Amino acid sequence: MKKLVSAPVLFAAAGVLLVTGLLLAFLYSPIDASTMGYSQKIFYYHAPIAETALLAFGISFVAAILYLRSQNDKWDRLGVVSIRLGLLFSILVMATGMIWGKAAWGTWWDWEPRLTTFLLVCFLYTAYFVLRSVVEEEQRRATFAAVFAIIAFIDVPITFFATRFLPAGMHPTVITASGTGMPGSMFFPFFISMIGMTLLLVALIRRDLVVEELRDRVADLKHSIGG
Amino acid sequence: MTIAEGAKFVAAAYAIILAVLVIYYFMSARRVNTLKRDVELLEQEVQRRQPAAGESGD
Repeated sequence: MKKLVSAPVLFAAAGVLLVTGLLLAFLYSPIDASTMGYSQKIFYYHAPIAETALLAFGISFVAAILYLRSQNDKWDRLGVVSIRLGLLFSILVMATGMIWGKAAWGTWWDWEPRLTTFLLVCFLYTAYFVLRSVVEEEQRRATFAAVFAIIAFIDVPITFFATRFLPAGMHPTVITASGTGMPGSMFFPFFISMIGMTLLLVALIRRDLVVEELRDRVADLKHSIGG
Repeated sequence: MTIAEGAKFVAAAYAIILAVLVIYYFMSARRVNTLKRDVELLEQEVQRRQPAAGESGD
């Protein structure tokens, strides 16, 4: 199937939006008046990366369901790729969150609901790859992985809504049903970065799918020549 | 916290993000190129062996 937008165009669009978001965050948005001060600038990439990580896990959840329904390998590949990228983005969220926490609250870590559930997400999806590595037979591995991905996804909405339902923690809730909770001059760069990060995720998923397809092709060819 | 103090944390956070994303971008691009070359070589090997297998059957 011919792709509507080529990979270089997607990467370029993501890059332009991310750089624009960053420039606006530093040159256009005001410095936060609360105790966070200048460290609030971390938010403009931290939050979009967090939302994108959760989106990647959402994609893996859908891919897992589609795999179990069809047993088509392409859904297994999509699951692997989206969880790998979701995990990469989650590690970035944890790292930048810890830096921001130290700057704004004076502590690298706090066992509050959002941080704890996000850490659990990281552990769960790391376990996904451990599971894949211990099952040898391809179809069984894909089936177990799909079931695990569905179960692991239970923690994703818990993480997303943790600050909304359990407001005892330090982590602020920026976007709620009643609004964004920030002025337009802050929301605009955030929104641009959010779109840029989402496009980057899509571009990386597409490229990693190519990697997985090529890996399968190499394995098939090696098998056919007895290598 | 002064702007200068906050700037250190902000710079560290963005440096980590950009470094990780850029490294991942180039690593995945390199993986694609390496695998494409592997596929090409293996396909040539398969084609090279096919006539030989046909001849041995005659």
